[in-house]
Amino acid sequence: MIFNRKKAAQAVWFTGCILLFVAPVVIMFIKSVSFGWSWPEWRPDQFSLRAWEVMFRDPALSRSLYVTVAVGVSVVLINFLIAVPSAYALSRFSFKGKGVVEALLMMPILIPVLAIAMGMHLTMIRLGLTDRITGVILIHLLPTLPYAVRVLKAGFDRLSFDWEEQSAVLGAGRWTTFWTVVVPLIIPSLRSTAVLVFVISLSQYVLTAIIGGGKVLTLPMIYYPYFNSADEAVVAGFSVLFALLPIAFLIVWEAVIKGYLFVIRKP
Amino acid sequence: MKKVIPAIGLMASVLLACGQDQQEEDAAHGLEGKDWDDIVSEAEGSEIGIYMWGGDDGVNQYLDEFVAPHLEEEYDITLTRYPMDAPDFLSKLMTEKEAGQNEGSADLLWINGENFRNAKNNDLLYGEFTSHLPNMEDYIGDDAPFVHFDMGTEINGHQAPWGNVQFAFQYNSDMVENPPETMEDLIEWAIDHPGQFTYPNVNDFTGNAFVRHVMYHVADDPEELETFNEEWLEENKEEVFDTLRTFKESLWRNGQTYPESLSHLDQLYSNGEVAFTMGFNEHRAESLIEDGIFPEATETVVLEPGSISNTHYLSIPFNSPEPEAAMVAINFMLSPEAQIKKLDPSMWGEGTVLNAESISEEQVQEMEQITGPAIVESEDILPELDSRYHDWILEHWEREVVQQ
Repeated sequence: MIFNRKKAAQAVWFTGCILLFVAPVVIMFIKSVSFGWSWPEWRPDQFSLRAWEVMFRDPALSRSLYVTVAVGVSVVLINFLIAVPSAYALSRFSFKGKGVVEALLMMPILIPVLAIAMGMHLTMIRLGLTDRITGVILIHLLPTLPYAVRVLKAGFDRLSFDWEEQSAVLGAGRWTTFWTVVVPLIIPSLRSTAVLVFVISLSQYVLTAIIGGGKVLTLPMIYYPYFNSADEAVVAGFSVLFALLPIAFLIVWEAVIKGYLFVIRKP
Repeated sequence: MKKVIPAIGLMASVLLACGQDQQEEDAAHGLEGKDWDDIVSEAEGSEIGIYMWGGDDGVNQYLDEFVAPHLEEEYDITLTRYPMDAPDFLSKLMTEKEAGQNEGSADLLWINGENFRNAKNNDLLYGEFTSHLPNMEDYIGDDAPFVHFDMGTEINGHQAPWGNVQFAFQYNSDMVENPPETMEDLIEWAIDHPGQFTYPNVNDFTGNAFVRHVMYHVADDPEELETFNEEWLEENKEEVFDTLRTFKESLWRNGQTYPESLSHLDQLYSNGEVAFTMGFNEHRAESLIEDGIFPEATETVVLEPGSISNTHYLSIPFNSPEPEAAMVAINFMLSPEAQIKKLDPSMWGEGTVLNAESISEEQVQEMEQITGPAIVESEDILPELDSRYHDWILEHWEREVVQQ
């Protein structure tokens, strides 16, 4: 009886997950290949690849996919470079003005991004960073870094200092301890940080438009204007494509983590 | 006679002044003494970019598959499309102006109405350039009102007309048995069929144009609204909003809420929730039916008192790196060849700015073949209103209609 109840709960949970996360993407996909599908028909009676043709006819699409991934991956890497040391420091040490530093790091998500972007635009023009991919990568740090620091700090907070001491007692140096003890133990935080940062970077429209000036063509630059049209099939198609990018990123990232663990476990 | 002489004197001095301005402007742009051939040869080999809204695949296709390859082939100019909304690129230009960046990122802008007014008032545009374009003189001429004014803003050659569209209503003939012929019929129909009609919020360009049609309906004579007429607004404010209030309760969702944009209304229409939609470009239903977005039974109708026309334009930003190539590109887009291709509903399918008298008999026939019989008769065409009416509607509609 108890066993059954557990199974039933599992089934409910599983169905709930599918309904919430998988079904919308499937419906989007069907919408993108349907022709003249409208209420009250419960299923489309005609199919057409028109929406996908429209998307791939745009000569900029393949380049935009490449740019989107390049921006997203760079933003993730820079986030790690900055967020891991700062989160580690915030979690492990107490120093004067720590509260202020923490507050400053949260600032960008408390102040409307648009207000900052206007001012940043002026500065970036003077620095010659506008209309370039470098500028876009830098501006994407604004909405991502606060989250990365938060998530990683929570990860370090949960990790007892004892592990590092133990490693030191056994004679490992600081760097060895960091790479072979700390990093493997905070992999769950690294995983969620990477995905979160990638998704946030992926969905930036206004920042990319202002700093990239339409010249740095990420997928949202092509995709969002279609929301302004009645063409639901094309919007659905773009949405599917949009949803595939983080999934692909997650798979690659998992592989990187597995590879890393494999390498450090080798004697 | 006494009156005539000062008038002539005044005109002469105005003309003189214009000529002088022209010379000064040309000198500032380094175009002094250059004829068209010089400009074309200078444009050769340039790479230019256009800022334009990117949300219509027909429009994008026209640019990518017709305009860009032709410019490449005929003038050795490479055109790239940067999808961006007008308010976005204007705010970008504004910041660039502030920062003193004189080497901008684009050479062409797709613009009109209040965006043009803002751009012109803030000196975000290159300046007078249309007088250099041979196709402007040959095929568009000087007679059409849209050459001189864009929603009440004087153009002064700062932008060149690119396309002309008329406002029309689309209805689902499966749902509407006796299609309305006048605005009054439409209002009656809406009251008789609660929940099946609505219009977009007036923040949307199309929703605002619907209210402007109601203003024309209230006005006894379209001429009353020809220039921005505050007195008329004072006197007729009640009647305009009364008209809108009479059928408010019968609108979709009892008029509690309005579609926030035309695309939302179009979606309601394609899902059969409402029987009418509307919009600029009287030919827009054709490609939407073809693509399976609108129902097959869609028909287009123009209601008395007529259809507001709207012109959209091409302009050059103040910091264009290649203004000569931009002019050559605009000149090409005004050619009969490009304008006729733009009529094709399988691509863009929208009205031309060509003066029918300036093109050949064959070209006229070709145009008629593509578009079929005219949807909007020329006597039904209403001039676009001053953009200050647009602002006036924005200011009052919410309080007078929604909150009542």
